[in-house]
Amino acid sequence: MNGPYYFDYAASAPRRDEVALAMAPWQRGVVANPSGSHRLARVARRALEEARDDVADCVGVAPGGVIFTGGGTESCHLALAGIASRHRRTHATTSIVVSRIEHHAVLDAASAMARDWPTVSVRYVDVDRDGVVDLESVCAAVSADTAVVSVMTANNETGVVQPIDGVAAIARAASRGACVVHTDAIAAAPWLDLAEATAAADLISLCAHKLGGPVNAGALVLRGEFALDALVPGGGQEQGRRGGTVDVAAAVGLATALRATVRDLAEVNQRVGALQRKLIDGLSKLAGATVTAVAARRLAGTVHATFDGIASDELLYLLDEAGVCASAAASCASGASESSHVLEAMGVTPDRARGSLRLTMGRETTQADVDAVLVILENSLRRLR
Amino acid sequence: MAMSGGVDSSVAASLLVAAGHEVVGATLKLWGGPSDSGCCSVADVDDARRVAHVLGIDHHVFNYTDEFERDVVAPFVAGHARGLTPNPCIECNRHIKFDLLIERARRLGFDAVATGHHARVVTRNGEPALARGVDAAKDQSYVLGYLSAPQLAMVRLPIGELTKDEVRRHARELNLRTWNKPDSQDVCFIEAARGREVFLRSRIPVTSATIVDRSTGDVLGTVEAAELVTVGQRKGVAPGRDGARRYVASVDLGGGRVEVGRLDEVVVRRVSLDGASVIIRGAPVATVAVWVQTSAHGTPVDAVLRHDGQWSVEFATAIRPVAPGQSVVFYDRDDPTIAVGAAVVSAT
Repeated sequence: MNGPYYFDYAASAPRRDEVALAMAPWQRGVVANPSGSHRLARVARRALEEARDDVADCVGVAPGGVIFTGGGTESCHLALAGIASRHRRTHATTSIVVSRIEHHAVLDAASAMARDWPTVSVRYVDVDRDGVVDLESVCAAVSADTAVVSVMTANNETGVVQPIDGVAAIARAASRGACVVHTDAIAAAPWLDLAEATAAADLISLCAHKLGGPVNAGALVLRGEFALDALVPGGGQEQGRRGGTVDVAAAVGLATALRATVRDLAEVNQRVGALQRKLIDGLSKLAGATVTAVAARRLAGTVHATFDGIASDELLYLLDEAGVCASAAASCASGASESSHVLEAMGVTPDRARGSLRLTMGRETTQADVDAVLVILENSLRRLR
Repeated sequence: MAMSGGVDSSVAASLLVAAGHEVVGATLKLWGGPSDSGCCSVADVDDARRVAHVLGIDHHVFNYTDEFERDVVAPFVAGHARGLTPNPCIECNRHIKFDLLIERARRLGFDAVATGHHARVVTRNGEPALARGVDAAKDQSYVLGYLSAPQLAMVRLPIGELTKDEVRRHARELNLRTWNKPDSQDVCFIEAARGREVFLRSRIPVTSATIVDRSTGDVLGTVEAAELVTVGQRKGVAPGRDGARRYVASVDLGGGRVEVGRLDEVVVRRVSLDGASVIIRGAPVATVAVWVQTSAHGTPVDAVLRHDGQWSVEFATAIRPVAPGQSVVFYDRDDPTIAVGAAVVSAT
């Protein structure tokens, strides 16, 4: 086996050395509880607040709006449940509006609330054939009882960038200014200027490991004052919005990874964008291949395609055997490739969706990697046909 | 190596590794709905993966949920809706574990597919043959009855030579976390607490029926879901006026009528087979004496398999009826450890 050729950045990006270095002091010896009052606690608190300032700056919000969490899934849950939980105490009915292509972190948070809370319901927003959220569908779904609307900044499977400005404007109009707009910016964060791309959103979910930072490190960022219930009350940390001792190393890791991402954004977009075009050109020449959402604006690092008459499990097996690390889409906890709710929402037939492949690139991907994956892909498809 | 996350396939994998084979473990994700082993059986997949780590082999998860629904669950529901008693484990072994996995293994460049079944592949007259496992109490040759000779040539069943106790001892010595895991019971896609009726009701409307004593015409009660009543069944059937046990003789879904009778009234000497389902390994003959097993751990019965335009089995002694939809597996008359074929019962 040669390689490995890593084409699974969207699952987790390679850790940055500078992140490891920045985190190192917070992973050995006394790491004081930043809520304490003594000198070592103050040292920890200072690092934590520096990290908060960094994250706030990158997203373009006030530092008080940054809530550190245990990762992206928790951030999304905090956004939806934190807002809806409060809303339902003072309203007869509460609706949550989410797009059909959201990550399961959002979809499952919404459906769990509708299951457990009798006055809460979920409404779903459709996407078009290119996987772009349909603004008319947003308008139809949002009503005066809508507590929160959640549409991701860019999709994690297809890389398709969503019209957050339009979603937010329509959601606010249709709810007469009552609803809060959340955007899961986790997939978009390595590629887009968050201050600009999420400017219209009230709440923004982030996580570190897609940026070259640690796992179990994330933030929910509030663009303004929004009262929300803690998922885990206790201890009063993060202004009472997330109980539990704050992990200084994780916060520093997130901030460092985000800073580095912002610093390198233009250069990485340009370089990987060129690789993306080469990869798409190569893929388009393969028999039975269809590149997904070619007409839509996509993140530079994502190439998604489907292959006629091929099962993803078999293609991934042969790619893995040849050293290519890729995925069909999002993975289930069991490690099995799941049938994609995103492709289903786009109207891709189940037969075609069965043969899907997601190749995601990032700052360390090279031209040689792309050349290699195209050759391996062609050989694998030949073996399977 | 198909690894379910149970002790049998764990040890089967270890035996192949020890024999020097190049082994890759695969766990099949079959059922996407709720089950007793948790969402998409994550715990079982975790066990299989961990055993693979310990044995030093690669492990993959293959998603066969669509195929499982199409080839196992949907026919199970459709069969019950027609008043049959399908055996989903047989269908799963046949269509998923062997047909699809063998095809996939070939495409991916493998020489053989192994499973942890208690059965053996032996050579007989120069051909691969299916034999009972050494542990008579655990023998699973019945559920493998439909494998074709070319499939058997590609199948390895490493633990068929071991007893269950030996399998567990082996697993414990190797420190495999599955060593004391209980054997899987009932059908994997049906939750024990909710049962078959709840599952069936979630898919199709069920039919209530009157239970009538065949000889006296007495109405003995009603049943809520006649689709789940099996010909030959005794469980849940009230005794007749004479106090003797009653057995289900027939189920008429359209007429909403379940007929029951005393054992001597319901026993049969002959069953018809669905010709399309018949698998016979070796040279087919018009009439052949065989041992017939009518359930997973049933006692083999002396019988004649007959093909005179229509396939049927004639038993030497009268037996409790075999429900339409159930499989019968044929064992060699001279060597009763060898399973020579199988078929689905079409009528009693």
